[in-house]
Formats: sequence, C-alpha cells, structure tokens
Amino acid sequence: MSTAPEQSHAVSMVGVSKKWGAVSAFTDVTFDVPQGEVVALLGPSGAGKSTLLRCVNHLETISAGRIYVHGDLIGYRLEKEALYELTDADISRQRQKIGMVFQHFNLFKHMTALQNVMSGPVHVLKRSKAEAAELALDLLDKVGLKAKAGAYPSELSGGQQQRVAIARALAMRPRVLLLDEPTSALDPELAQEVVETIRRLAEEGQTMLIATHDMSLARDVADRVIFMEGGGLAEDAPSKDFFTAPKSERARQFLARLLQAH
Amino acid sequence: MTAASVPSIPDLPIIHRRRWGSWVLGALALFVVASIVIASVRSRILDLSVVGEYIFSPMIVMGAFNALVLGTLALVIASIIGFVVALMRVSGNPILVAISATYVYLFRGTPMLIQLVFWFNAVPIMFPNIYLALPFMDAPLINAPTTAVVTPFLAALAGLSLAEGAYMGEIIRGGILAVDKGQRAAATALGMTQLKVLSQVIIPQAGRIIIPAAGNQYIMLLKSSSLASAIGYLELLRVATDIYSSNFRVVELLAVAAFWYLVMTAFATAIQTVLEKVFPQR
Repeated sequence: MSTAPEQSHAVSMVGVSKKWGAVSAFTDVTFDVPQGEVVALLGPSGAGKSTLLRCVNHLETISAGRIYVHGDLIGYRLEKEALYELTDADISRQRQKIGMVFQHFNLFKHMTALQNVMSGPVHVLKRSKAEAAELALDLLDKVGLKAKAGAYPSELSGGQQQRVAIARALAMRPRVLLLDEPTSALDPELAQEVVETIRRLAEEGQTMLIATHDMSLARDVADRVIFMEGGGLAEDAPSKDFFTAPKSERARQFLARLLQAH
Repeated sequence: MTAASVPSIPDLPIIHRRRWGSWVLGALALFVVASIVIASVRSRILDLSVVGEYIFSPMIVMGAFNALVLGTLALVIASIIGFVVALMRVSGNPILVAISATYVYLFRGTPMLIQLVFWFNAVPIMFPNIYLALPFMDAPLINAPTTAVVTPFLAALAGLSLAEGAYMGEIIRGGILAVDKGQRAAATALGMTQLKVLSQVIIPQAGRIIIPAAGNQYIMLLKSSSLASAIGYLELLRVATDIYSSNFRVVELLAVAAFWYLVMTAFATAIQTVLEKVFPQR
C-alpha cells in the first residue's frame, strides 16, 4: 500500500472512503484513470459521485485511502507510516493542476467572462494581465464565446456560463479536469452545446472525470463508465459495453430508468 | 361555433375603470397634511427669523462639521473593527468565535449613551497615567495624565466606534455568509490560497451586499454623534443646547440642528447612491 502508483495514471483512487460522521458517502473505492481517458461516473443521486470528485482536489477530505494525481499524493504527506495533512499553500499548489467545473457554473459574479478566465493565471500563477488576457481570449474563442468576453455572468445563458467556466478551468492548463454534473442545470438544448465543448476537449486528449446523469455525455463522449451505487463501485466497463450489455442487475435497472426519463 | 362564424367587430375604444377610491384617499391625506402645516405656522411654534439668524452661524456650522467628522471617523473605525469581528465569527475557531460573539453581545446590548459616558469616566480611573514610549528614543512619545489625553472627542470616537463595530460586525458577517458557497469552492478549486479567495472573491461580493446596510448605519451614526453632547463634545446638538440655554429659543435652535442633520443625511444618502451605481449588483 505504501508504494505510489504508476506515474502514467492521471488519477489513482486507492481504497478511498468518505464518511460524514456515521453516514458513509462511499466505501473502499479503487480505480485508475489513465492519461487521456474520459471517465463518466454514473449512478443514482446520492451515490457519492459529486463527493468523490470533490475529494480528488481535496475540497472534501477523505476518511480513508489515498488519491494520487499524476503520482502526487493529494492533500497529505506520507511520513513514517502516517499521513500528515499538507498546508493550505501546498494543497493550493496541487489544485492548480486539477481543473474543476461545477453543476451551477460558479462563475465569479463580479467579474466579466474574460476576467473569470484570467483569474487563475493572474491570481494563482502570477502571470501578467496582458499575457493572461491573451490566453483567456484564445480560450473563450475555443468555447465559441470570444464575443462575450466583456459580459458578466448574469448577462449570459446557462450554457454560455458553463462554457466560460470550462475556459476558466482550462486557463490553468489542468492535467485532469473534474466535471461535476456539468449539464444537469441546463435545458436540453443548452446542455448540448456544453456536451459539444466537452467532446472537443476529449478529442484533444484532455483527461476528464465526469459525474453525470447525461446519457449523451456518458455514452458518446466518455471512453469508460464507472457505475456507483450503494456507496461503492458497482461496475467499471468501457462505455460501449456498459450501455449495450451492463453486467450487474442494478446497472440494468438504472439504465432502464434513465432511458425512460429521456 | 368556429372563429370564422364570429361577426367582425368594429374597433371600439377601451374605457378603463376610474380609480375613484384612490383619488378620494389622496385628497383626504393632502387635506390632513395641509391642516397640520397651517396649524403649526399659525400657532407660531417657531420664529423663522430666529432660525434664519442661527442657521449659518459659525458656531452651528462648526458643530455640524464636528458631528460629520465624528460620525464619519466612527464609521471607518467601526468598519475595520466589524471586519475583524466578522472574520473571527466565521473562522470556525471556537475561541475566536466566543470572543467575537461576546463582544457583539456586550456592545450591541448596552445603550450607546452609557458606553460613551463610561469610556469618558472609566478610562482615566482605570489608567490614571498614559505612558507610551518607543524604543531608541530618549523622551517618551506620550506621558500625561489620562484626563488630559482622553478628550471628549476621543472618548466619543472610541465609544461610537466600539458600539457601532458590533453592528458592523454582524452586517459584514451577513454579507460574507450571503456570498454563494459555490464561489468559494470555485476559487479554491482554481488553486487560490484562502487569503486570495477572501481578497479576490469573497470581499468584493460581500462588500457590494453590505452597501445599503452600511449606508443605513452611517446615517444612524451621524445622528448618534449627538450623544457626545453628554460628555461635552462641541458637536451640533451641544452647540444648539448651549445657545438655547441662554436665549430660550429652544424650538428654533432644535429646528436649526434638525436642518443640519437632514443635510448630513442627504450627504450620506448621496454617497450610498454613488457607491451602488459604481458597484452595481451583478
């Protein structure tokens, strides 16, 4: 257990558990995400998908196990067979390489789209404003929103806000991108434009871990599906196989309900 | 019956119902207000020529200026105290939370007047001498009996600032809590340290949220500066009181003071309006 996992794995979860007091969110979760792979975390509400994502960048602390991102132990330092929590500054440094996109976008409301995308490079990486603005405009262009650079979040549609949020995360050049229900708060039409943006990232080889209920994201964009249920991993399969021939009965039921809803 | 079978209707004007009730109510209210004004003018409560004589007198204007300085400085200091108290309150550190909660309870729970008189009288008793020296200096910076240092102005400033700091602490805490939790999560996830999260995301947003409440407190403080008259600080009310105690034109001088308080309130309201325009709610 004390050996670090292969460096080639973007994310390694080793026996990770999360408890809120006596209530367990998930128990003993183990899986690897190789570099460049897109993994969809599926499962009913309350299965712990979002919590698991928030553990990967230490927004939530884990109760047991270890999480590695590109070989770095997240949140802790291993010393003499004990894990010591890192300082705020050290954890912040680890988070710089882990992008996150939220269900409710969470764009900084007092900043324009451009300032939002610039905020990471300027305030975290201490880049010059000119350099950050240039990069930010490129990224806004990439998500098709260069024309909205000066708009405040309240002036953008949900789909546009989410695309700006993706650009904001990309501005840090993350090695891993965590997406927490990126399309759940959007109308189907607006969700589609966000799915398209994520699909393009997948084609560029961006490693992503996506908690989602969105069939088109999980089936058409993700390479692999991890199905969580009852506080643990219920199934881990290539996306194609999962949707055509789910192995577990629970996954079959879940898919049937999901298809019914669509 | 289908739509086609409906006979064509000529364009007729639409007549809206008259709101007779609101006209009657409005007229009635106007009548009541007019009667009160006329009655008070007839009864000669105040002699306008006396009001005119004092309204721009140097003593009164100085008093108004002193009140404005005291209220404004108190707001600035109270905001700093309130900011620290609010941060302590949301820190999650049980000791800091207990200290700040106790401070808020004590200073919000006692009348400002008591606090002002207390600081003016208690500090010189507690510390009869003030001695402040800096290292590598021969003569001390301050070495004087406390009664000489704690002037009515300083006692009033301390009293108002400490009392108001408790209110501002609660207002600022409310502003911080009103910032969406997702904003903090997003900033943290980008890799900002907690200090950056605070300075770049929480404070700008909380600052906008508290402007209306802070403007309210500023107006309240400008008027509360009149409490300093109790400890002999020459602010507006004290000056007015001094004048009417010799010439007995009580109502006129209170009207003069009230006029200047209204001017100060207009000034505070203008500042608040400008701030709300410059930092619009997004």
